[in-house]
Amino acid sequence: MAQWQEVQSLANAHLERVHQLYAGAALPMTVRQCLAAWIEDQNWRQAAEPLSSHARMLFHSLLALLGERLGSPGLGDEDFTQKHNLRKARRDLQAEFEECPERFANLVANLLQEERRILRLGQAAGQGAAAPAPSAAPESDRKQQIQRRLAEFHAAVQEVERAFWHLEDLQDAFDFCFKVHYVPGEDKSNDPQYVRQLQALQAKLQTLDRQRREVLAQMQQLLGRSERLQEFLQQELGDWRERQQRACMGAPADTCLRPLETWFTELGQRLFQLLQLLRALGELRQKVTYERDPLKAEIPLLERRLKEQLTYLLQRAFVVEQQPNMPNPCKRPLVLRTASKFSARARLLVRLHDRNHRMEAKIHIDRDPPKIKGFRKFNILTSSSKTILAGDSPQEGLVCDFQYLTLKEQKDSRSGKGAKGAGESPLVVTEELHLITFTLAYAYCGLELELETSTLPFVIISNTNQLSSAWASVLWFNMLSTDPSNPKEQQFFSAPPAAPWPRLAEVLSWQFESVAERGLAREHLLMLAEKLFGSKPSPESTVSWPKFSKDGASGFSFWAWLDGILGLLQEHLKPLWKDGLILGFVSRKQEKKLLKGKRTGTFLIRFSESILGGVTCTWVEHPESGPPAFRAVVPYTAAELASLALPDIIRDYQLLVEENIPENPLQFLYPDTPRDEAFGPYYSQRQEGTLTEQKRYLNRRLIRVSSRQANESWQTEEELVVATENLETLQLQPGGLGTQQVTSGNLGTLQPGGLGMQQVTSGNLGTLQPGGLGTQQVTSGNLGPLQPLSPGTGQVMATGLGMLQPGGSGTLQVTSGNLGTLQAGPQVLEPPQPLQVRPGVPEVLQAEIEGLVLQLVPEGQGTLQVGPGDMGIMQGLPGGLGTLQHMGPGDQGTQQVGPGAVEQQLVLQLVPEGQGTPQVGPGGLGTLQVLPGRLGPLQPVAGDTGTLQPVAGDTGTLQPVPGAVEPLLVPEELPLELLPGDLDMQELLESLANGPEPSSGSLGMQGTLEPAELMPNVAEAMDGGLDPRLAGSAALLAPHDPFLPQSEDAAPAAASSLFTTDFPPLSIDANDFQ
Amino acid sequence: MTALMGFRQASYVLSPSHGSEKEVGDCTEYFCLCTILFIRKRSGRQERSKKLELAQSETMKAGTDVHNSKEEAEEPKARDKRLMSLFGVADLKNEAIGLYNIGQSCCLNSLLQVFLMNIHFTGILRRIMIPRHAAQMKRNVPYQMLLLLEEMQRGKQKAVFPTAFAHCLSAYRVKLFVQHDAAQLFLTLWNVIKMQMGKPELVEELSDLYTICVQEHLACQKCSLETKRNSSMLTLPLPVLDSSSHKLRTLEDCLQHFFHPEELTDHNMCFCEQCGRKTPFLQSMKLVHLPKTLTIHLKRFCFEKSAYIHKLSHYLPFPQDLDFSAVLTEDQCQADDNEKAAWQYELFAVVAHSGSTSYGHYCAYIRSLTERKWYCFNDSEVCQVSWDDVKCTYGHSNLYWAETAYLLIYMKKQLQ
Repeated sequence: MAQWQEVQSLANAHLERVHQLYAGAALPMTVRQCLAAWIEDQNWRQAAEPLSSHARMLFHSLLALLGERLGSPGLGDEDFTQKHNLRKARRDLQAEFEECPERFANLVANLLQEERRILRLGQAAGQGAAAPAPSAAPESDRKQQIQRRLAEFHAAVQEVERAFWHLEDLQDAFDFCFKVHYVPGEDKSNDPQYVRQLQALQAKLQTLDRQRREVLAQMQQLLGRSERLQEFLQQELGDWRERQQRACMGAPADTCLRPLETWFTELGQRLFQLLQLLRALGELRQKVTYERDPLKAEIPLLERRLKEQLTYLLQRAFVVEQQPNMPNPCKRPLVLRTASKFSARARLLVRLHDRNHRMEAKIHIDRDPPKIKGFRKFNILTSSSKTILAGDSPQEGLVCDFQYLTLKEQKDSRSGKGAKGAGESPLVVTEELHLITFTLAYAYCGLELELETSTLPFVIISNTNQLSSAWASVLWFNMLSTDPSNPKEQQFFSAPPAAPWPRLAEVLSWQFESVAERGLAREHLLMLAEKLFGSKPSPESTVSWPKFSKDGASGFSFWAWLDGILGLLQEHLKPLWKDGLILGFVSRKQEKKLLKGKRTGTFLIRFSESILGGVTCTWVEHPESGPPAFRAVVPYTAAELASLALPDIIRDYQLLVEENIPENPLQFLYPDTPRDEAFGPYYSQRQEGTLTEQKRYLNRRLIRVSSRQANESWQTEEELVVATENLETLQLQPGGLGTQQVTSGNLGTLQPGGLGMQQVTSGNLGTLQPGGLGTQQVTSGNLGPLQPLSPGTGQVMATGLGMLQPGGSGTLQVTSGNLGTLQAGPQVLEPPQPLQVRPGVPEVLQAEIEGLVLQLVPEGQGTLQVGPGDMGIMQGLPGGLGTLQHMGPGDQGTQQVGPGAVEQQLVLQLVPEGQGTPQVGPGGLGTLQVLPGRLGPLQPVAGDTGTLQPVAGDTGTLQPVPGAVEPLLVPEELPLELLPGDLDMQELLESLANGPEPSSGSLGMQGTLEPAELMPNVAEAMDGGLDPRLAGSAALLAPHDPFLPQSEDAAPAAASSLFTTDFPPLSIDANDFQ
Repeated sequence: MTALMGFRQASYVLSPSHGSEKEVGDCTEYFCLCTILFIRKRSGRQERSKKLELAQSETMKAGTDVHNSKEEAEEPKARDKRLMSLFGVADLKNEAIGLYNIGQSCCLNSLLQVFLMNIHFTGILRRIMIPRHAAQMKRNVPYQMLLLLEEMQRGKQKAVFPTAFAHCLSAYRVKLFVQHDAAQLFLTLWNVIKMQMGKPELVEELSDLYTICVQEHLACQKCSLETKRNSSMLTLPLPVLDSSSHKLRTLEDCLQHFFHPEELTDHNMCFCEQCGRKTPFLQSMKLVHLPKTLTIHLKRFCFEKSAYIHKLSHYLPFPQDLDFSAVLTEDQCQADDNEKAAWQYELFAVVAHSGSTSYGHYCAYIRSLTERKWYCFNDSEVCQVSWDDVKCTYGHSNLYWAETAYLLIYMKKQLQ
């Protein structure tokens, strides 16, 4: 907007000043108004210089313009008075300044200057009133300042340029006059014309001299201003470096360099522009110089000052844009592994370069290695230098991008000295810090520089399992290093400082944020602090490096524990953590406080403090009388969560109570969100389709179950506190003979080592591991796993039993009570003992031993799971219901359904590579489900109904005994081939021929059958006459039977089912409580 | 005006050839010389430099009685106010005007701006006795200064030539076309002005405006004989390194260090009259009175291997507001509560230097007392700046050509 218009729009107070200004001025306001634009366009200041012809020219132009206005028809009658005023003003001006137009020029220049001053004042006041302190963040404030200053600087440089051109004009004029008029060596002082010319020449020189001084002063001023600008930019860059460092640690930070690049480039451009102006000034001096020529003294001074600024700018502008980074899933830069690829990138923020100059960038590792004994030395493989081409990437800027680098340790130097590796060094490998330095040969506008910049220190490891502790080092360094760019910091871990808790807390929170998009809340940090300090942290609390990364009462350090949780989150719990469903870090005390006031079934999810990378649920129950009780499940680790996701575990978790339907105690997620509402989105899709379609398989679901007795007496809250503490610490290891009676109380692990009788009548028992011979009787109470290691009899009378793991030979009798899982350990002795499941006991038996027999007495219900390489027999007595599940390759299992098992439903599931022989006795009903890739003969005995359901790719043998109903439905379109030439099959058939069953009529088949088309109607295949064949089948399935294929023969499964992985049991392991 | 032009004419010899290079060398030597004079034997021997400072202001009355001058100060203060309203009007209207560099005169220009932007000083300057004869006029520094001020204000030009003034000064051993040391030149200038002021009451006012009063204590460590001496100085010459040559961190630290007692032992021992031999002494300095305009000289140079001086350009921040009573401890002052209460200062001007000791440029950052805005004076170029720009003169270890504050001029706050 034109100045005069702006002046008119000022507030009244300031307008008053303008009126005052013009009240006494020789230039009437009418004239100012009338010729506003023209007046503002002229350079009055320059015209005001003495002896300038410019002033006269301007003065007469003004008068002429006024005359024009007066004559123009544009002014109507109403402007008669104005016309009159103008006419008068013109006459006055002419009278007053005709003789001294310079004075008039000076007057106008001053008036304009004064106007500008008033305008500034007015606008400043206006801004102050209009925008009442826009309290923007100081950071964005600085950005605005930079923008503003850059614009000002740009304008000022242009101003200097204009002044320079003016100077050039003046010099040319002087030079011309000098050459024309000045005649040296001739005394013409008597010639008045010559004297006058000489005086004019002298005046011209004066003007020239003054203009030179002005340009120089302007440049000095500019350099002073650019210092401030430079300082702002350096601060901004410093902030960026800090942000980058934080981002390396996983903090969310903006590390975009674009604005900085723009600013640096702009400032660089202006400074180089000044440098060129300075050189042009030098050229002017070459043409005309005189005594006390200011250019002579000042140019070198200015040039040095300018070059220093440019050098500083360029050196700081060379930055490591991307710190050394090896691709890894945890986004952890600055940890490099030998022989694996990494990349690093540096950038010059000043995007100016000489296109004719070849810019070479190089990288060096540990150019100035610290004097530490045993400090490893490395070579960078692949090229360590790179030429940045001029036209490489104009929009991307000047980038030195080094990719596909690898590191190789220099072995020879140390072995030559006879040193023995890391043992010599005072620092462990993960505390050794290395640096990569970039150098760049820069040239532009005659300025040649060697720029260099260094990465942040990084750690070099040789094995992935060092990643965790290497990352701890990187965190510690970047969190606490006072001057990360100082090469001396490579010795940081010679004396690592302690971390103030608030700083550490922040950094730990970033870890969670970067892994699972949610940081640590205040409560989490409080718990962590209490874990570290044993009390509430004060702002002055500090954590030492060994305390953080090395020491640990529980066998692992604080960091290892935390990193275990991070790993668990990363792999399995990301969405739950992100959405805040995991309370996570809650101490037991706090946990009780939180849950106490909540209704029964309220639960929370927290991380285990006792094992690495474990997560568990704790819920509260309010018994009818007494204080609330808190229950926690044994922590799940990554291995378990890999087979079943936590939301599914929570959904299906069941607590078995005697004479009740199993119930899920996890009802409400703390504070009070219904379980399914909270976890619904995370449940894996149920396979509803198989239920509504035909029954290809019996539906199964893997669920987690805990059991307890219904009439169990709840403990008081206080007792429970003791109990949990006991669980953590107590280990009873009586070594003597005799009878041990634990009648009541809480027991972590009971490991009696002697002979005798153990009687646990009541109480909660973590693990019972009797090592001696004798009888174990657990009559009442809750028992976790029972793991007898030696021969004897384990009797669980009336008990909620989590897991029964007989490691020794002996008979386990579960007479009454609920049994979760019965697991037979591998060290069983001969002969195999039968397990008897009495009525009313749902039974899961996991045989990891050979020759385990599960006998189902009437009304018993059980599942026999046979692990890899095992053999098991399930014998269903009349009325028993059982499932035999073969899990791994090489399994051998026999299912015998005894006579009279009317209600029986026997399902033999062979998972891939399992081999088994189901034998269905007379009158038994059996379903053989064959999963892909496994081999097994099905031998229905006469009178039985046998069904073989081969799934794709199976080899199955169906051997019907004469007289047996043949229900095998083979669709006609399916290719069924007899394989008489198959050697294994042949052998098998031969062996079977020797057995009680006749082999005639057997059908060997190998086919690719679509399961859906082979659905038998099981219910129809019922028969009455059943013949007990138990003994025979047991003999058939002796482990040393040469005719049954061994596990080695079987190829590994292409697609393993849930059960092929080694399914971790629901057990309390004694190791948890150390 | 004619005299000025005459000088200009005389100074030019029209020659398109290159000028001689000798001059630069000359000025560099001079700067070295005066700084050596000024801070000879700095390290470990503080008292020398302090004494040297006192010697420079020898014309000032030693041992001024603080209380007397304080009572008398009431009167000038009231007068000052009246004068300010009289003369300040003219000053108020003024924009900051530049001074052309007439050849290595950036130092003089900067100091002139500091003097002339100080309305308390111009208030005195405007009342000087005008010499009667033209010859006297030409030689009278305060008069020439006043002329310059008038020219700056009247002309409404962007900048004026201080040629006549510089010429006048050259009669008082202030050479033309030579790079000076600002602290040195300030003392010379001040003394010459005071000497030629003419009216005794003005001399007193001028002294009051600039003089710092301290009490020197010298105590023999053997016999506890204590000698006290009142002395005055024009600037506080603050070391920027401590006695073991470590960089001091802030201006406040420098002040603390300056007023910290010092033990004189070994070859620094003094002769004790009572003991009759050289004994170790404890030397201390106590602050008695601070003037309205307080000049602080940061001794940003040090000697490495005897002869070579180099500039200390490290970072040393100074505050915009400075409370001396908060900086100094109780036993570093010798003043009553009234005096101390008045020790509230705000920064008025910074004379900054860029370049090396031998070779560089001066500019001045001055906060206009009427407008309360910062200006930067680079010879003929004047521009309005912000406090951020002034902060840029804190110094920078790696940049020798950055502007670093050399003289700090603080102004006593007007107490309501």
